[in-house]
Amino acid sequence: MKRLLPILIWTAVAALGGVALGTIAFHRGEHINATWFVLAAACSYLVAYRLYSAFIAAKLLALDNTRATPAERRDDGRDFVPTNKWVLFGHHFAAIAGPGPLVGPTLAAQFGYLPGTLWLIAGAAFAGCVQDFVILFCSIRRDGKTLGEMARDEVSKRGGLIAQLAVLTIMIILLAVVALVVVNALKSSPWATFTLAMTIPIALLLGVYLRYFRPGRVLEASLIGVALVLFVVVAGQWVADSPYLAKVFTLGGVTLAFAIIAYGFAASALPVWLLLAPRDYLSAFIKAGAIFSLAAGILLVRPQVLMPPLTRFVDGSGPVFAGKIFPFCFITIACGAISGFHSLISSGTTPKMIQREGHARFIGYGAMLLESFVGVMAMVAACAMTPGVYFAINSPASIVGATPEAAAATISGWGYPLSARTMTGLAHAVGEQTLLNRAGGAPSLAVGMAQIFSSTIGGERLLSIWYHFAIMFEALFILTVLDAGTRVGRFMIQELGGRVWKPMGRMDWMPGVLLSSALIVGAWGYFLYQGVVDPLGGINSLWPLFGISNQLLAAVALVVATTILLKMGKLKWIWVTLLPMAWLVIITMTASYQKIFSANARIGFLSQANVMASQLVAGKVAAAKIADTHRNIFNLRLDAVVTAVLAVMILVLLVEALAQWYAILSRDKAPVLEETPYVATEWAEGD
Amino acid sequence: MGTPWLRLLGAFHNFWRGLRQWSGDSAYETYLACAERRPEQKPLSAAEFYVEQLNRKYSRPNRCC
Repeated sequence: MKRLLPILIWTAVAALGGVALGTIAFHRGEHINATWFVLAAACSYLVAYRLYSAFIAAKLLALDNTRATPAERRDDGRDFVPTNKWVLFGHHFAAIAGPGPLVGPTLAAQFGYLPGTLWLIAGAAFAGCVQDFVILFCSIRRDGKTLGEMARDEVSKRGGLIAQLAVLTIMIILLAVVALVVVNALKSSPWATFTLAMTIPIALLLGVYLRYFRPGRVLEASLIGVALVLFVVVAGQWVADSPYLAKVFTLGGVTLAFAIIAYGFAASALPVWLLLAPRDYLSAFIKAGAIFSLAAGILLVRPQVLMPPLTRFVDGSGPVFAGKIFPFCFITIACGAISGFHSLISSGTTPKMIQREGHARFIGYGAMLLESFVGVMAMVAACAMTPGVYFAINSPASIVGATPEAAAATISGWGYPLSARTMTGLAHAVGEQTLLNRAGGAPSLAVGMAQIFSSTIGGERLLSIWYHFAIMFEALFILTVLDAGTRVGRFMIQELGGRVWKPMGRMDWMPGVLLSSALIVGAWGYFLYQGVVDPLGGINSLWPLFGISNQLLAAVALVVATTILLKMGKLKWIWVTLLPMAWLVIITMTASYQKIFSANARIGFLSQANVMASQLVAGKVAAAKIADTHRNIFNLRLDAVVTAVLAVMILVLLVEALAQWYAILSRDKAPVLEETPYVATEWAEGD
Repeated sequence: MGTPWLRLLGAFHNFWRGLRQWSGDSAYETYLACAERRPEQKPLSAAEFYVEQLNRKYSRPNRCC
């Protein structure tokens, strides 16, 4: 009986999950309730965790709780700190969960709710969680080495360099695209701009408090900070209502872009305790609170999902971004299904804090399941609004028109009824001048979240507060990614520069700090500026580029993992990492090829550049726009080159790895595994 | 007080301890406990440790997309 009960429970969970998945997949006609999404996701995750992650832990990795982890062997109270499993889960989750799982699913909702939701669930279970888990395991067995170091040691020297360059490239694209999301959320919005601007003095205040008055008292400082941030969210309304202040804080895209570039430079070059760290504390607390309230809101309100399962844009003609479901749905939703960036957290910080090898399953596999759940909730929030409103917020003006009337006419013509009055009324209700053409995902998610929150607390009256709370929350932690990423990028440039010229590598040499900060900020700032002035809204070209680079990094991580597992003699189970790796290589290569060479000018960078060039030649471009057109052509060709460079990088790494695999399998050379030797734990069982 | 209350109190205590660890609030205490085991080195002050810790933490990828 005792053995029968768990089997019965798990069968019931699996059956419920199956029914829920079937319901969302085959539902036609009337609207479907969001509860089905929550059930389908939760049951799938539980079954995947119970069965698949247990299988990986036992058969593929053979996790060994008698083996001392780096945290036990090298405990130094600084980096190597044995940490409780639940605390480390929270730590790891806070590090991996960023704006990606919120923005990607929102953009992919243009295909309808189904493709994105299925990819979020299946991608996480079979690819994303596997990557995070296996890389965490590999790094634990190597004293917390980074992905780049493991690539160098286990694949080849060139492999290590490629991994490092890939990380730097994706960092630049990532920072540009998240900055663009912030710009699109803040432009012509005095309320949101004021709120976000005020978080800077708040962070400075906390920085000084934590450095000089109460060193390291993070909790009390964060509490003060969160209270202040909530106050400035409300105060933003007064700013928006004051004719003078509203004017000061109403900024255009280009001004905002330069403000963010200046901010990124300051955060990278200033001492970290002053601005970057206190802002990160604020964002961690607000992020945890907002994600928790979104989950609670969806469960309480149980909204109807108004978006159809599939829209007409599965044919690749979507207004938010162009391209068919394959490969673009899988590129658009990176974080939430599989994100290569996670492999940098799984190697580096978390492995140095883990108490037992056995915890790697809960932390590596489990935290990614939770991130995927955040992605599903973002999908629900985006699909809970009327499709017409969704398309009006997320489509660029060059496709739907710049006025509410034009947008309503175009979008209604697609079969998603929308009246101009709905859009002006909604903008007014959330306290904005306009919600049109705000591609990037943040505003539409904020509208979705605000509608869900306000049906729980406050009703229509609080809709504008909830909207700006959601915008602040997204912008706040996007800026945290931006400043932390810029700083890490600066260190990478200094490290690479130090190889060529020694003084560059010294982290405290001011000219080196300033030069490398300027280089990294200049690099992402250039792409950001290009996105802001892009007539198609920028997200259309930058987000796929970001997706491709993030998925390429995941492919790098899985190549490294597969190589290590082959050396460990795990040929029988190698498909666990090999299949997701192959899938990623296929989607990234297809997407890269289409983004560069597609004859469709909305997809292919080169053909779009050619269309513009022929318009120039034919004299169809107004004299005032000639310089802009030249710049756009250059930018499109640059995007094509960047995509090609990324694709070549992964191909070279793949060839290096294949040579290794061939040597191992044909027994030409004995596999050399760079693992730290076994040391038995001194901790009692069950610690 | 009955056992359920004690249990609740225990759970709250654990949560609080976990929250302090998660946020870094108790990092200095952890460091001091570790430094006691190495008496040959003079431990850093709370402010020194805080700055040193931040510099290390933010020199590698620690926030994701």
